[in-house]
Amino acid sequence: MRSVRVWLEKDGRAIYTSHLDLNRCMTRAVRRAGIPLWYTEGFNPHPYLMFPLPLPLGQSSDGEPMDIRIETDMTDGEIFDALSRVMPEGFTVKAVREPWDKAGDVAMAQYLITLELADAVQAERTAAVIRSLIDGGELTAEKTGKKGRMKVVKEIKLSELIHRFELSWEGSFIKISAVLSAGSTVNLNPALMLDALCKAGGFEPVYTEIRRQKLLKSDFSDFE
Amino acid sequence: MLSKELKNILLKVQKPGRYTGGELNSVVKDSAGIAVRYAFCFPDTYEIGMSHLGMKILYGLVNEREDAWCERVFAPWLDMEKQMREHNIPLYALESGDPIKDFDLIGFTLQYELCYTNVLNMLDLAGLPVRSGERKALTPIVIAGGPCVCNPEPLAPFVDLFLPGEGEEVTNDIIDLLKKHKALGSTKQEFLKEAAKIQGVYVPSFYSVEYNPDNTVKAVTPSNGAPEKVKKRIVSDLDNCYYPDKFVVPFLEVVHDRTTAELFRGCIRGCRFCQAGFLYRPIREKQAKTVDGQCRALCGSTGYDEISLCSLSTSDYTQLYPLLNGLLEWTEEDRINIALPSLRIDNFPEELMQKISSVRRSGLTFAPEAGTQRLRDVINKNITEDVVMSTVKEAFDGGWTAVKLYFMIGLPTETLEDVEGIAKLAQKVVDEFYHNPNKPKGKSVTVSVSASTFVPKPFTPFQWEAQDTPEAIAEKQKHLFESNTTRKVNISCHKVYTSVLEGVFARGDRRLADVIETAWKSGCKFDGWDDVFDTEKWEAAFENCGISPEFYASRQRSFDEVLPWDHMDYGISKSFLINENKKAHEAVTTPNCREKCSGCGTNKLNGGVCHALCKGMA
Repeated sequence: MRSVRVWLEKDGRAIYTSHLDLNRCMTRAVRRAGIPLWYTEGFNPHPYLMFPLPLPLGQSSDGEPMDIRIETDMTDGEIFDALSRVMPEGFTVKAVREPWDKAGDVAMAQYLITLELADAVQAERTAAVIRSLIDGGELTAEKTGKKGRMKVVKEIKLSELIHRFELSWEGSFIKISAVLSAGSTVNLNPALMLDALCKAGGFEPVYTEIRRQKLLKSDFSDFE
Repeated sequence: MLSKELKNILLKVQKPGRYTGGELNSVVKDSAGIAVRYAFCFPDTYEIGMSHLGMKILYGLVNEREDAWCERVFAPWLDMEKQMREHNIPLYALESGDPIKDFDLIGFTLQYELCYTNVLNMLDLAGLPVRSGERKALTPIVIAGGPCVCNPEPLAPFVDLFLPGEGEEVTNDIIDLLKKHKALGSTKQEFLKEAAKIQGVYVPSFYSVEYNPDNTVKAVTPSNGAPEKVKKRIVSDLDNCYYPDKFVVPFLEVVHDRTTAELFRGCIRGCRFCQAGFLYRPIREKQAKTVDGQCRALCGSTGYDEISLCSLSTSDYTQLYPLLNGLLEWTEEDRINIALPSLRIDNFPEELMQKISSVRRSGLTFAPEAGTQRLRDVINKNITEDVVMSTVKEAFDGGWTAVKLYFMIGLPTETLEDVEGIAKLAQKVVDEFYHNPNKPKGKSVTVSVSASTFVPKPFTPFQWEAQDTPEAIAEKQKHLFESNTTRKVNISCHKVYTSVLEGVFARGDRRLADVIETAWKSGCKFDGWDDVFDTEKWEAAFENCGISPEFYASRQRSFDEVLPWDHMDYGISKSFLINENKKAHEAVTTPNCREKCSGCGTNKLNGGVCHALCKGMA
């Protein structure tokens, strides 16, 4: 048995696949590829396949890591080829490597957010609004969490979770490059940040795209 | 590809994966070279439609053709429909995203009566008039198949043509004919006239219905050269009949998300309540090696880790042992689970149980259908209580701790004593568990009792019977709950009014079309969903149309009454059904078709061949 980290681009119609569905979908892909998965040895054996950082529904990604444990002598290159042949539309295998970092080492993620406004005037105005909201450092969002069994709404301060924020605009488009906290303990979904910006700034884009570009460790180096 | 407008909507609805398409093995073609574009519509949610084997077969079959392209369409859920209507997005097909109103064929599969309002709603969402008479152009032609087509009358004014029977051959016939008439520039009427000549095609607008003063049907008269009786189509040789080697693999979890193998069509049992048991006759089996090959291909192309052996009564398959032995040779190694969803309680040997449980343990489900022996004899469910108990004992010996039991309430001749018998039988199963010295240690037993409401259906021996009134059903359900004294038994029942509605449409005539349209206009849809179903709107629709549901549901018919579906020929002789009905009232059983042929007549559809009579086919 050995562990392999598969890097997958997720794009197009595939972005509407939820995390749970993705798990099932990829288990089947690995089966179709003829790669023998290692099964857990518990009471209800299941194949070992996990995503270190689930991608929210509706977002695309340059490279999502997927960790699998396999029982085969196949090389990384052979696995790459076998998987590439069986991927559903919207998924592209970018790399197959030994997992270098532990899943828990993910601390941040870099996103590219594209907003389309009604026209160039709106875009310029909105860009200024967003900039002042971020610079103000007072941006908050409401997040539903759980306290025991109770559902609670808590207010979170976004500025503590935004580590880098660059903004540019051209025509009716605004592009934001942001590094946000990510991981199993502290995580900021860029869609939540965007909602908070829209609400606080009183604007509504006609169209939005969010793409995860890479995962980072706490020292801003790439998660590999 | 998805438009920006659609993408915006998709993030506002639940489960957007229902509406995107792009799944593995879905077929995308260049529409430029396509003569006939076919929108195959399932009038329910994606999750239900994507579980349906018939759709997978016909999808693959049509897409084998270079001149046709079949795409999938499902009923958008309420949230999506709202968004689509707000943003003027017409109903589109998943593969291309193109609006289906521009397609040549729009086909619906009618699996249950409660989907009828969804058919109208989907046509409307597409931007088409729901009445066929108002769709003047040659295309799109709206067609419908599936079991409900055995009595298509309530939908007659909406659908251009119905396809009774099996679709594999007739679908291609229709596509060929439509392709020809498109090229000729024919009118819709010209096309329909030709179509009506094909066996297994029913053009409802070519039949006029007259009624008696007492509201029963007086006569159904064909015109335009359409046949007096429309004979259903069947496929003769299942081994050489098209079966897909690929299934579209959904991203989101659907109801049946696995490889499905069809072992045979038809059923030897002749349970008198079961419409499927009569509709799909005669028996035609597939060879075990055919099934094995199809399973291998499908598991390979989909990556599924479960095979469901699917037929009306799986354990009656004459080659079940060779099939299972063959499958186990490779499925165990590939960690593929085999599920046998339709087992009969009385011929379920331990050896077989061991075989499937060696892969992975699935739940155990039995369907005694009635609580007392007398009533089981009435419905010809030839199972004795001893057999139930010995099978359950074996199951508990084998380590099972959960048993599901299916029953029906409202069967002809049923008394409260019979209803009580359901609770008693469930209690006996619980007792059997605790008396079993080999029961799994430290575990409790759960017996789930599902008591559905019996609905008399066309082409069964009970097609003349009165359905229990809502009041009678409610009383029986209450009695069942009161008869249960243990918490180890969980009882669930169907909603009363939905079963009545199902009964009305199952045996209804054309006059019900107005009720369906009225109900739909008042907002009825997804009537099969308890949380959506609106009893008051339906009651109002019947009221507004001046039609009494009782006339259709709870009225006893005489054997000589002209039934609204009498012009449909499913091969079953009426005298056979009458004889079965009489035997039911005498509580006399009929042996299964393998023991003795009862002469139902359906073998005539297949040149006299019925595989029930060929024991252990080579």
